[in-house]
Amino acid sequence: MRKLLEFIRSVYVTVLFILLEILALGYYARSTVYTEARLLAQTNRLFGGVNGTINDIGTFFSLGRENRKLTDRIAQLEEELSRYREMEQLTAQVTEIANNDMSKYKMQTASIVGSTIAHPRNYITLNRGQNDGVRHGMAVTTPEGAIVGHIIACSDHYAVALSILNMEFRASGCIEGSTYYGAIRWDGRNPNYVWMQDLSKYAEPQPGDRVVTSGLEPYFPQGMLIGTVEEATLNELGTTYNVRVRLAAELTRLSNLVLIENIDLYEIELLQEQVLENTNN
Amino acid sequence: MYRTPSYILLFIVMALSQIFLFNNLSISSYFAPLVYLVFLIMLPLELPPIAMLGLGLLTGVTMDFTMGIAGLNTIVSLAIVFVRPYWIRLLTPREDMRDEGIPSRGRLGKRLFWSYAVGMVLIHHTLFFLLESLSWAHLPGTLLRILLSSIGTLFLVGVTERIFVSHIKSQIL
Repeated sequence: MRKLLEFIRSVYVTVLFILLEILALGYYARSTVYTEARLLAQTNRLFGGVNGTINDIGTFFSLGRENRKLTDRIAQLEEELSRYREMEQLTAQVTEIANNDMSKYKMQTASIVGSTIAHPRNYITLNRGQNDGVRHGMAVTTPEGAIVGHIIACSDHYAVALSILNMEFRASGCIEGSTYYGAIRWDGRNPNYVWMQDLSKYAEPQPGDRVVTSGLEPYFPQGMLIGTVEEATLNELGTTYNVRVRLAAELTRLSNLVLIENIDLYEIELLQEQVLENTNN
Repeated sequence: MYRTPSYILLFIVMALSQIFLFNNLSISSYFAPLVYLVFLIMLPLELPPIAMLGLGLLTGVTMDFTMGIAGLNTIVSLAIVFVRPYWIRLLTPREDMRDEGIPSRGRLGKRLFWSYAVGMVLIHHTLFFLLESLSWAHLPGTLLRILLSSIGTLFLVGVTERIFVSHIKSQIL
């Protein structure tokens, strides 16, 4: 009996270690981007405030740059607005298009509370949550209109977005002005580049061409800037291009972001579910 | 026991700097130091294995919750505290040196301390980043990530060891 007790005493740490490791491994194996994002959104109730303050300090030093960018943007928008005003005088129909109620998309702004770039799965935490009307599936872009990610989890006051720099991120992109589209994904390496894969050989991408969202998936409105073509290589069979895209959004220095809600998203998803159900039956 | 408050302080400082500083670093996609490991490296050598395991679990779970990487930090933290006694025994055959005290430059000597620290950091970071990427396809990138992040963490090991040891000494006097 005493020998048995002694034996147990000599190995119980190892046994405990193995048990705990199995538990942790099991938990890790079952984790997805969604469980991770939910966890982040929850813990931000605790740390979000402090993280926000730290980010505010960081933001303070980039205020000059931000301001310049905003004034540039205002100038640009003013120009566009004046063009619309002219058109308004010309035709009454334009007012209907510019009318807010007609738009399929609703926008709001948010600031970054935390973001990573150094992992295969990166997330961006924002200081707006369910109480501010943030919903799963909203697009996240820079104020200049370059895409950054989309929301996958929200708590009351915070939301977590799947960053474009997350290897699970998928979007559909195309060369501006063409109808050929490819799959956008990140390879986990350089935070300034993503890949556009399976682009038809007829698309003939040229370095410098703008890559925009195709509007084929419900998260991103059509024609939002993703980046510019850096280089394009044909695959071994010569059927499709692999395009290296320089991201328009600088994910290493983001502070303010714009959230875009597709008002029809819920309806679209409902419809897709119905189709799936019908085909399964 | 006189060191317990100092260790609690060390844990808090390391956890906070990990959560608020190092998790939000946006320098390069290959630089993600896991500085909470410094706490586990500095734990006293005479600590019983079960206490080590408990502290490893606590550190891992805390980091998992704050980094959103469910389970991964727990896996590697548990592994590193489990391996630690064997690693020290492998490094030095002298019992008087390895059986008590804080693992510091003063106690172990410069060479032994750095071999100990480099080993701990490399084992921990290798496990972490390999499990995180879960593929051999990105191996060169993962290796670079292990290397750069380890250098970052080791730098902090050096700095913290200095400050912590002098802090402990001032407590005794």
